[in-house]
Amino acid sequence: MKKIVLLLAVGFLSINVANAQAKKPTLMVVPSDAWCSMNDYMLEFDDEGSKVRIPDYKKAFQSDPDLLLVISKINGLMADRGFPLKNMESVLKTLESNSAEDAMMTSKDGDESSESPVDKLKKVAKADIIIQITWKVNVTGPKKSITFNMQGLDSYTDKQVATAAGTGAPSFSAEVPVLLEEAVLSHMDNFTNSLQNHFDDMFANGREVIIRIKKWDSWDEDLESEFDGEELGVIIENWMAANTVSGRFSTTDATENMMLFEQVRIPLFEERNGNQIAMDTRRYARQLSKFLKDEPYNIPNKLTTKGLGRATIYLGGK
Amino acid sequence: MKMLMKSLAISMIAITCFTIDASAQKKKKADKAMHVFRYEIECMGTGVQGTYLIKVWSYSKKATIAQEWSKKDAIHGVIFKGFAGANGCQSQKPLSRNPDLMQEQEAFFDEFFDTKTGGYRQFVNLTTDGVPSAGDVQKVGKEYKVGLVVSVNKDALRKYLEDKGIIKGLASGF
Repeated sequence: MKKIVLLLAVGFLSINVANAQAKKPTLMVVPSDAWCSMNDYMLEFDDEGSKVRIPDYKKAFQSDPDLLLVISKINGLMADRGFPLKNMESVLKTLESNSAEDAMMTSKDGDESSESPVDKLKKVAKADIIIQITWKVNVTGPKKSITFNMQGLDSYTDKQVATAAGTGAPSFSAEVPVLLEEAVLSHMDNFTNSLQNHFDDMFANGREVIIRIKKWDSWDEDLESEFDGEELGVIIENWMAANTVSGRFSTTDATENMMLFEQVRIPLFEERNGNQIAMDTRRYARQLSKFLKDEPYNIPNKLTTKGLGRATIYLGGK
Repeated sequence: MKMLMKSLAISMIAITCFTIDASAQKKKKADKAMHVFRYEIECMGTGVQGTYLIKVWSYSKKATIAQEWSKKDAIHGVIFKGFAGANGCQSQKPLSRNPDLMQEQEAFFDEFFDTKTGGYRQFVNLTTDGVPSAGDVQKVGKEYKVGLVVSVNKDALRKYLEDKGIIKGLASGF
């Protein structure tokens, strides 16, 4: 009887593990700054004497049918592969309508919804992986060809995780939209191949994220303060070593006020009540936050996150 | 007259049997010699969405058998070898990223590449009705090297292999 119960329990557990799904990263196609600049879709403003140019995505989407064609093609092909993408034009429209709604919304007592400056900063179009596209039409006499570049950029680690680039066959007669369509079709498989390599690496070695530790000015202690004869910075590093996949992380910067951990490989799942739950940076950093809040350190702290891959813990208060 | 009719009928039956047998023999020969996939692939341009347009050079002692094999070789190449780019055509990696897949899934691929019942045929189309262009049938030593342009429905092929659990999909695990 005991054996049967044990077998059933093992079976149930393995079903849970098998069914566990990692958190799916969001992807979005964004025209590169270089492309926006080449096509004059830039905004220019004066920042205390120096001229700053930023891409004007709204103008690009409203006036460039080739851009819409390329994005629509990429979105369609990725959806066919089971990976529907966020559509940047729709995201920009939603952001606009949300802020208009938020500005008008009040409670019955006349209260406005609370929003900190950081909340305002975070109201931008974002995705976990940005597919940055650039293309250029090359004209040699009557012949035209397209140089096309697709880069998959991780929003948190700033690493290029996928790529496909090249110049298509020159044509005397084909229109630019036809050449562009051909360019997308011929580069897409190579792009998804390199993206698949990135995902395979993630499943084998954990998700690569960034963890930052900072302290509030008002906190009397710092990262060099000693607890049981050990500096706080070293205690945090030891926790990272024990809780990353194969102890993989790099301490990029460490001072008395801040620490920056890059290439932190966090497990994709954590076990809770016998179930495997998908893990993201928020869940992971919450464990460190709790570790520091509990005995013997008793350090109050605040945790903020950015998407699936970046978290900051502020020590010394909420 | 009766005798003439009789001999005509016998001749007809004999010719039919011979034709069927010859065709079966050809396929048998093709099957027997197909233990090693030996071919070269050239990219011929960007195909319509979801397809690769490639030229496959297959080898055999008989030109007709090489033609029969080009379909199999094309599918094998798309799954296991990929192909290099040329003339503005982009090089493509194989669908499988596991070099030992053929050995690991031997039973599946034996059935998949079976000349009579194999599923590979639904993913490949011969252009020019399977007739090689001039200069695409070459005698190399004692055998023929035959080049045929084929269109491989790689999206459907990938989907099929993903559904069968032979290769992993991009979204698997999420």
